[in-house]
Amino acid sequence: MWYFTWILGVLLAISLGIINVMWLEHETCLDDETCEGRDD
Amino acid sequence: MLLDYETLKFVWWLLIGVLLVGFAVMDGMDMGVGALLPFLGKTDAERRVIINTVGPHWDGNQVWFITAGGALFAAWPAVYAASFSGFYFAMLLVLFALFLRPVGFDYRSKLDASQWRNSWDWALMTGSVVPPLVFGIAFGNLLQGVPFHYDDIMRPWYEGSFFGLFNPFALLAGVVALSMFVLHGATFLQLRTETVIAERAARAVQISGLVFIATFALAGIWLAVGIDGYRIVEAPAPGAMPMPTAKTVEVAAGAWLENYSRYPLTLLAPLLGFGAAILAMLASRAGRAGWAFFASALVQAGVIFTAGLAMFPFVMPSSSQPNHSLTLWDATSSQLTLNVMLIAAAIFVPIIIGYTFWNFRKMWRVVTVEEIEAHSHSAY
Amino acid sequence: MMDPEFVELSRWQFAITALYHFIFVPLTLGLTWILVIMESVYVMTGKQVYKDMTRFWGKLFGINFALGVTTGLTMEFEFGTNWAYYSHYVGDVFGAPLAIEGLMAFFLESTFVGMFFLGWDRLSKRQHLAVTFLTALGTNLSALWILVANGWMQNPVGAEFNIDTMRMEMTSFAEVFFNPVAQVKFIHTASAGYVAASMFVAGISAYYLLKGRDLGFARRSMAVALGFGLASIFSVIVLGDESGYEVGDVQKVKLAAIEAEWHTEEPPAAFTLFGWPNDETMETEHAIKIPWLMGIIATRSIDEEVPGIHDLIKQAEHRIRTGIIAYRAMTAIRNGTADEEDHALFDMYKKDLGYALLLKQYTDKVVDATDEQIKLAARGTVPDVTLLFWTFRIMVFSGFTMLFLFVTGFVLMAQRRLERHRWLLRAFLYGIPLPWIAIETGWFVAEYGRQPWAIGEILPTFLATSSLTKEDLMISLAGFITFYTVLAIIEFYLMFKFARLGPSSLHTGRYHFERSGAPDLANAPAAPVKD
Ligand code: HDD
Ligand code: HEM
Ligand code: HEM
Repeated sequence: MWYFTWILGVLLAISLGIINVMWLEHETCLDDETCEGRDD
Repeated sequence: MLLDYETLKFVWWLLIGVLLVGFAVMDGMDMGVGALLPFLGKTDAERRVIINTVGPHWDGNQVWFITAGGALFAAWPAVYAASFSGFYFAMLLVLFALFLRPVGFDYRSKLDASQWRNSWDWALMTGSVVPPLVFGIAFGNLLQGVPFHYDDIMRPWYEGSFFGLFNPFALLAGVVALSMFVLHGATFLQLRTETVIAERAARAVQISGLVFIATFALAGIWLAVGIDGYRIVEAPAPGAMPMPTAKTVEVAAGAWLENYSRYPLTLLAPLLGFGAAILAMLASRAGRAGWAFFASALVQAGVIFTAGLAMFPFVMPSSSQPNHSLTLWDATSSQLTLNVMLIAAAIFVPIIIGYTFWNFRKMWRVVTVEEIEAHSHSAY
Repeated sequence: MMDPEFVELSRWQFAITALYHFIFVPLTLGLTWILVIMESVYVMTGKQVYKDMTRFWGKLFGINFALGVTTGLTMEFEFGTNWAYYSHYVGDVFGAPLAIEGLMAFFLESTFVGMFFLGWDRLSKRQHLAVTFLTALGTNLSALWILVANGWMQNPVGAEFNIDTMRMEMTSFAEVFFNPVAQVKFIHTASAGYVAASMFVAGISAYYLLKGRDLGFARRSMAVALGFGLASIFSVIVLGDESGYEVGDVQKVKLAAIEAEWHTEEPPAAFTLFGWPNDETMETEHAIKIPWLMGIIATRSIDEEVPGIHDLIKQAEHRIRTGIIAYRAMTAIRNGTADEEDHALFDMYKKDLGYALLLKQYTDKVVDATDEQIKLAARGTVPDVTLLFWTFRIMVFSGFTMLFLFVTGFVLMAQRRLERHRWLLRAFLYGIPLPWIAIETGWFVAEYGRQPWAIGEILPTFLATSSLTKEDLMISLAGFITFYTVLAIIEFYLMFKFARLGPSSLHTGRYHFERSGAPDLANAPAAPVKD
């Protein structure tokens, strides 16, 4: 049942988007220009 | 099966009527507003007030039009096919005019240049005036019969010309449609604005109301004395399989009035048209804009059912080959399709009405110049 | 008989208006979900920047949406205006999904989209998120129903010819809805939209990162786009493969043309990676082949045959001949001169009636068709192989390029090293057209590959037209081209203008162009983001 797969798939894709940005938010000093250089 | 075929066909005649009324009440309202836009709004801020009264609603309203098209396709495919291809350039005229609206609403206030905004205002006006005019003209032509016939594989052939559509009676019907939309838009504007704009809107209610009553009456008289109607002489049973070429039809003077004399109750439709228009004008004058709006909504229903009842059971009579006329009995889909669509409508129409109400309730307010200036980057 | 040039013009008009509609559709399909993501994070964290993101990308969405609606209006009525016989012949089946689309989807998206733009002050946070979600749901449901309709054209299940009404009538709504072709088509196409929107957001965010502007805003947008896009590109490719399988099942000619398989091979067939198909000689020159792959893709087995074009033409010829028998019987039945045998013949061969209709291109008297006309009609069942072969490869190539971009981008961002790879940021920016190229070529493959059928094996395209004239079509086509070009210029102008301006266009005072004394964020003591 591909229609059902679609429902799960959209939820998964949305979650991946949310998790990815929340993780970034959590880990990094997002608004700082030198931010990315910090961890190495 | 839910209903027998004959009843189902009749129910779909009613439902198409209801969709058309829905279109006129909802989309007719913002087309009326659009038609009045450059005339009632003198300054940029005033025009933005007018646009923002329908800002959160026009797109949803337009779907009444789209869905009426889709429902025509599903319930009366023969009518969808014969009328849209026959009225080819008239349809394109409507479409090109409608193109101006979504872009007009969305893009107008995105840039500051007054040239830009002014052009979009006129574009919005055009996009709001042309469609009702052409719909009226189309109805005017339906009432006179349309020159088309079917060949042996049931391909419809249209024999008329584009300019033939613009005959005097059809033009009169066009004005009826335009004035009833403008009346409706004006009552809505009176309700949702204040001070000068509301006063100008109230004046527009009186003018469009008078034009409507005069043209509607004239069209009625013309129909009674000057236009031949159509009458079924012999046809397969209403519940039979839809075969548009299997009946015998005659053209007769006064045939369009027969339903009215046979079932006097149907006279309520034209009476509703006139009565509600008078009521709308009186209520507007008394400052009761809410009642005026409600009454002008009834005008739309009155007019559409007046035309529908006159033609019943015809939907698209053929003037060149009357036997090939389309009626609500023989232009329809199969029983299964009508049933499926009836179930779909029964489920979704109440839901649609529900969230449309929520939309109007949440977004309801009197739009003011001050508010527009405070939100000049987020409002339309 | 239909004038072939008139048919050409009708097809051009449909192709142009549909392809144009589908420039705007994919972005709407995907961007609405991206807005749902951003706003969800706003509701969860309460951080202002996420509201700004929702509103800024929402602004770009609005510019796009207006043209999606405008061009969609044309599509809704074009079946009636330009494909009247089609509408008459299949409206009983095809009209239903279109009408349900209006009731179930268009009302939803259009009612809530107004509240999305204008309801920020009038709705609670949660209510507004619900509005955004319902808009997204509406746009996606509209894709669902229109693709159910389109899937039925490719694989007309759940319907039967009715000889009394001379049209196709529905026999099972469930079969129409659960049509396997419609199902894979819907996910492939919807995911293509998600990919397009992800590339759009990622590309524009990359631009801000390259310029060093509004970094916090851009990084967060990038993160959303990469996460959502990564999942979506996988889905597109998996479902693309599944589409290929479905095509192999129900549209063998299309598959053979896409793969330029002229001759039936011993199973499992090889896949032609590249080559030079020649429609004249009906051979593929300089082919580079991968053994076995095609057989596995198309049949999911190693012992089933994938028929080649030569054999398919032979089959078509046979079905035209049996179709003629059905046609003769049908004429007798409709004239009332049929005997029992006619009825039996009609029932036996009516599934080939459509093949007999192909002859109407060459003769009005189908039953008297000559051998030569039958051969011509049979050859005509194969669309232009070279075109299909290449357009399909362009789509697949774009797909794998984007797969590479999203995987690399996602991994580098996870390692917090993305911004050091400026080439990748540039690739995202200049790669924005890629999904659109894949999408438009994809539609070309699906729709041109269906030719000569408007409804697969039932109604030939040339018969499906309206009874208009060439002049009518030239005028309307010129009108569409002019109108659409003007609208496109305006849209692109606004899109570029606001994309360049970035979140400063919100006039919040928090972003680059509104903060005097930029270069801003480098020395800013604390995050400029207020909750
Ligand atoms: C896969 C998706 C898809 C496909 C194949 C089509 N559309 Fe579309 N359509 C959408 C997805 C969409 C959408 C995403 O829902 C749109 C695009 C942007 C938008 O505003 O809504 C839309 C808008 C849109 C509108 C305006 C709706 C409104 O006011 O909200 C109409 C009337 C149509 N379409 C009709 C059609 C028809 C008749 C098509 C068949 C040829 C068609 N579309 C193909
Ligand atoms: C929006 C996405 C779509 C695109 C880009 C697209 C593209 C095309 C193209 C390129 C053609 C021309 C084929 C040719 O004549 O060579 C075509 C024809 C056609 N398409 Fe589509 N199509 C789309 C969606 C649809 C949908 C959803 C339907 C039906 C539900 C549909 C119905 C038709 C019809 C009726 C024709 C004309 C007859 C024909 O040529 O077969 N299209 N389309
Ligand atoms: C990379 C592997 C891909 C494969 C194997 C693939 C396969 C296919 C096939 C076989 C079709 C034709 C279906 C039919 O005729 O019914 C198709 C159509 C299409 N493709 Fe792809 N595709 C791929 C990538 C993409 C990408 C990356 C996009 C856009 C982002 C895309 C967008 C489309 C669209 C819009 C259609 C037309 C709708 C449809 O028929 O589903 N495809 N694809």
